[in-house]
Amino acid sequence: MTTSDVTIPVRLTNIVKRYGRRTVLDGVSIDVTPGVTGLVGPNGAGKSTLVRSILGLVRLASGQARVFGNDPYRKPRRVRQIVGVVPEDECTIPGLSGVEMVRYAARLSGLPGTEALRRSHEVLDWCDAGQERYRPVETLSVGTRQKVSFAAAIVHDPDMVILDEPTNGLDPIERRAMLGRLTTLAKDHGKTIFVSTHVLPDVQAICDRVIVLAQGRVQLAGTIETLTKPPQPEHHLAGSGPLEQLATKLSERGLPARVEANETESIISLVSPKPENIRDVWSAAAEVGVSIRSLAPATRPLEKIFIDTLRRSEQHHDQHNTTQGDR
Amino acid sequence: MPLQDVGYRAWNNERCGPSSTIWVIAWTGIRLAWESRWLRRMVFFAWSPALLFAASFFAFEQAVDEGRLASLGTAAQRGRNLDGIGMLGTVLADALGGNTDEVDVETTRHLVWSRLLLAFMRAPQAMLLAAVVGLVAPTLISRDLRAKAWLIYFTRPVGRTEYILGKFFILLLLVLVITMLPALALWLTGVLVSPSVSVAFETWDLPIRIVTASFILAVPTVLLALAYSSLTTESRIASFAWFATWVACWIAHGALTTADLVASTQDGGVYSMEGTQEEEASRSPKAKVSPIRRNFRWFARAAGIDATLDRWAWVSPYHALGAVQAAIFGIDTSPRSWWPSSMTLLVMSAGSLCILAWRITAPASS
Repeated sequence: MTTSDVTIPVRLTNIVKRYGRRTVLDGVSIDVTPGVTGLVGPNGAGKSTLVRSILGLVRLASGQARVFGNDPYRKPRRVRQIVGVVPEDECTIPGLSGVEMVRYAARLSGLPGTEALRRSHEVLDWCDAGQERYRPVETLSVGTRQKVSFAAAIVHDPDMVILDEPTNGLDPIERRAMLGRLTTLAKDHGKTIFVSTHVLPDVQAICDRVIVLAQGRVQLAGTIETLTKPPQPEHHLAGSGPLEQLATKLSERGLPARVEANETESIISLVSPKPENIRDVWSAAAEVGVSIRSLAPATRPLEKIFIDTLRRSEQHHDQHNTTQGDR
Repeated sequence: MPLQDVGYRAWNNERCGPSSTIWVIAWTGIRLAWESRWLRRMVFFAWSPALLFAASFFAFEQAVDEGRLASLGTAAQRGRNLDGIGMLGTVLADALGGNTDEVDVETTRHLVWSRLLLAFMRAPQAMLLAAVVGLVAPTLISRDLRAKAWLIYFTRPVGRTEYILGKFFILLLLVLVITMLPALALWLTGVLVSPSVSVAFETWDLPIRIVTASFILAVPTVLLALAYSSLTTESRIASFAWFATWVACWIAHGALTTADLVASTQDGGVYSMEGTQEEEASRSPKAKVSPIRRNFRWFARAAGIDATLDRWAWVSPYHALGAVQAAIFGIDTSPRSWWPSSMTLLVMSAGSLCILAWRITAPASS
C-alpha cells in the first residue's frame, strides 16, 4: 500500500463488472480525491454499480478497488466503518421512528447505546429534522425520509460520504440546505463527498470534480473549473442594442467576436481582451449604441458538456458495434 | 433551528465489536415483533399449558408426600384420571410398567417428571412454537428484501454472519420464552411442591435436559423458517411454505404410520390396539393397553411419549423433534429411534443454512 493509496480516498483501477453477458463497468479507472466529486451519467450508465463496487457489494470480474488504501473485498468491515452511504432506494425498516432509524444505523456502525442516541439527535438537529423524527419512517414525507437517510449515513462520522441522488424529492429550499450541508462537511470537516446524481446544477453548485460515466466507461473526468473553461479564453458580453454591429467593430479592432444566441438572449463571445483593451470594448459599444449589462469570463455550461460527451460516447459505441458486426 | 443544535461534530470514540451488532439486530427485531398484538397474545397463551401440567406435578408430589404412590400407580394402571387432564395417569402407568408393588420414589419421580416435561414440550409447546415462528419469521428477511433494507445493514460494518445470527436470535429468544422458560418453571414448580428441596438435587439433570431439548427444538425450526423467509420478498408465501411443511410432513407421517398400524394389526403385531383377550394377555405388561389409556394413546403418540417404536418419525420435522427429545429426556434412547430423526434435523438445519448463506449474499451481488 503506497502513501498515495491512503491519501486518495477512492482509487478504482480498471474495474470490470458484468451481469451475465452485459458489461456494466468496462475498465473503469477513477480517483476520488478529497472534496466533493460528482458522478453523472444517464440511466443505466453503471453509477449505482460503481458505488456498490466501492463498498465491495458486487463481485468484480477484474480490476482493483481501494478505499483509503483498504481493499473493500478483503476488509469490507473497515471500509464500511469509514464510509457513510445514502442509497438511492428508500430503504427503511417499517415500525421504527426517524430517530430510532438513525440510532439503529449508529448502533450497527458500532456506536455504544447511549452515545448512539445522543449522536442521532445531534445529527438530526443538524439536518433540521424537527419533531418529525418521532414519527414512524414509513409515514414520513419523502424529504424528511431523505434527511433521516442522510443523518443515518453520517451519524458514525465517516471519512467519506457516498450519496446516490441526495436531492431526490426535496423542495428547492431543502435542496439548497442539503447542498449546503454537503459543502460544510467537505470544506469545514474535511470529508470526502461522492455524489451520484442526474441533477447537473447540483453538481455545478457544489462539486470540485466531476466524472461522467456512460456505456460503462468514464467518458470525462476533471475539475469543474477545467471542464467548464472554454478551449480558448473567452469573455461573454451581454447588452442591449445592435450586437451584430458591435461584434463587427470589435473584430475590426483586433478582438475577434461573434454573436451567439443562448436560451434567453443574444450575447457576444469575444476572445478574452487584455486589460488594456477593455476600454476599447466600452468605446466600441458606445460608438454603435450598445449598452453593456455584463462582461465576464465565459464558462461552458455543464449540461452542454454532459450532452456533448454523451453524444460522442453514443457515436463511438455505435461505431464500435458496427465494426464488430462487420467482423 | 433547534435550540440544541450544535452543528456537525466529529466522533472519534471507541466502537463496539461485531457481537454487539448481533444483539442490536436481535433486540430491535424482537422489539418490532413484540408490537404485534397477536404475538403478545400467543406468547401469553403459550404459558397456559404449563398451568395444566403443574397440576400433574402437584398431584404426583401430593401422592408421594402422603405415601400413596403405589395406590396411585395402581389407579393409573386401571386408567383413572389422576390430575384432571389424564396426563399423569398415562405417564405414571408407562413409568411403572405394571409393577406397583415395589415402587422406588426417586426413580419413579425422575421417570414421571421426564415424561411430563417431554409431553409438555412436545404436544402444546412444539405446536405453539410452529404458530409463533410462523407469525414472526416470514417477515424477518423477506421484508428486508422487499424494502431494500439490506442496504441498511450491508453498507455498514455488518457481515452476513452477524445479520443471520441477529435474525436467528430474534426467533431463538421467542422460542425459548415459550418452550424453555415454562419447562424450567414446571421443574421448579415440581421442586417447590415436593416434600423436600433435596428433590432438586435428585433431578438436577432435568434442567440441563430441558435446555438441550429446547435448543434441539429451536435451532432447526428457526433456521428453516429463516430460510423460507429469505427465499421470497412476499412474507405470506414464506408463511404458507412454513405451515405447509409442518402439515404436509405430518400428513405423510400419519399416512405411513397408519399403514404400519394396519399391517401390524393384520399380523397381530405390537401396534395392535384392538386385539383379543389372549393377545392382550400374551403381550408384555408394558404393551398392555387399558381402555382409558387407549383414548389417550393418540395423544401419547402425538406427544412422542408412546414407548412404541415410531419408525417414520424422520419423515416429519415435528415427529423427528419428538424422537430426538425423547432420547434427550432418556425415555427412548435406542439409536434406531433417534438416529434417523437427528439426521433429518441435521439435514434440515444444514440445508437451511446453505439457503441463507446463498440468499443473504444474493441481493448484494446481483
